[in-house]
Amino acid sequence: MTLAAGPWPTFAERAVPRSRSGVLVVWRLELAKLLGLWRVRALALMCLAGPFVIVAGLNLQSATPGDTAFGQWVHTSGFAIPMVILGFGGQWLLPVGTAVVAGDIFSAEDHFGTWKTILTRSRSRGELFAGKFAAALTFATAGLVLLVITDLLAGLLAGTQPVVGLGGQLVPAGQAIVLVLASWASVLPPVLAFTALAIFTSVVSRNSVIGIGIPVVLTLVFQVVTLIALPAWGQQVLLSTPFQAWHGFWEQPAFVGPFCWGLVTCAAWFGICSAGAWLVFRRRTIGGAA
Amino acid sequence: MIARIRGMIARLRRRGRHRTRAAALAAGMITLLALSVSGCGSTGLTAPSLQTSLSRTFANLYVLQQAEQGNPKPSAASLDSHASCQKGGTLDIPQDGSGVWLCQITYLVAGPGYPVIAKYNVDVQTDGCYAADGDGPASVNGSPTITGPHYAQLINPLSLIDGCFDTT
Repeated sequence: MTLAAGPWPTFAERAVPRSRSGVLVVWRLELAKLLGLWRVRALALMCLAGPFVIVAGLNLQSATPGDTAFGQWVHTSGFAIPMVILGFGGQWLLPVGTAVVAGDIFSAEDHFGTWKTILTRSRSRGELFAGKFAAALTFATAGLVLLVITDLLAGLLAGTQPVVGLGGQLVPAGQAIVLVLASWASVLPPVLAFTALAIFTSVVSRNSVIGIGIPVVLTLVFQVVTLIALPAWGQQVLLSTPFQAWHGFWEQPAFVGPFCWGLVTCAAWFGICSAGAWLVFRRRTIGGAA
Repeated sequence: MIARIRGMIARLRRRGRHRTRAAALAAGMITLLALSVSGCGSTGLTAPSLQTSLSRTFANLYVLQQAEQGNPKPSAASLDSHASCQKGGTLDIPQDGSGVWLCQITYLVAGPGYPVIAKYNVDVQTDGCYAADGDGPASVNGSPTITGPHYAQLINPLSLIDGCFDTT
């Protein structure tokens, strides 16, 4: 009783009020951890070199990837190349790329049994969660930005002739650069939503194979479901649809309806997944009998 | 004991503040969602929207094709192109949605009395993007390449038309 009634020793008090700085510390630490992973390095290397390898590969042969938008123009204009990469990337590479990191960022601590170690530090669960979440989002954004830059450079290297837009109009170089950048920017919301989804599966499953595997399988499921003639709202609910919204930018006149709906879809997926992940993570018993 | 109770009250207050902040955040997100939903609108995947998009794209690409061949360049508007599309298969098939459509594009190259018809098999995807494959006449859209000035082999823009229309 005397112990509880008296003031606690000063070392138990918090010297500085805990605020956002805690999140920042976790975020920085997590980013440092990510940079040490071979997966992350391999992905960064792919983002750096991939577009140039594709350009070199296209130059070696005369065939074109004709079954995708802009595919037939890859030898005519360099601006078609980033769009072909985005066409394929939006279906597979981008969702899988972010899931490989985000699907592991929480469950890795389960795998190595390190939750007890980090939760006994002076950082709360909320700060840990926010920091890790922010690190995964940062990685996804940084990877996308890197890919946009190398893509555009590779395209410019291949040729700056006007490109035929999806409305049949000739798009001059200056406008084409803007459209390429806008198109790539339009896939950031679905990439971030996929990141939140992978974090959710990572937190819930406590297993990296499932954490990464479920988002990857989901991209596959989305691809199959997209082929079915669903009602319009059913199509809009899928997280794969916003990846295709950029097509409207290249039309004449351009339209942004799909992009607009995509923002709603992405916000919903992002909100639900991150809230779900936090609710599970907050209540979780760590260490001892669960 | 009093210190402990005080601590509890402080903690409750802090949690209350967190709740208010979370509630404000949720309210903000819902407002944003509602605003964007009302701003987006919806039209669907129908024959008129496909026809409008295909005829406009065709006209633009026809102009490009003539320019590449070194012919006199008509204006896209002067072609007065009109597309007429029907869903392939049986007769009772619903005339909307994704799948293979058969389209005829009527356009004018030699005055109003002489309409030309170009045919396309159009594979429409669920997101409103389509790939129209030329199905005659051969001189217009049959060959994947055309011959430009100095016998240069160029891609025939009318052989395969990629386009999209707004389904939202």
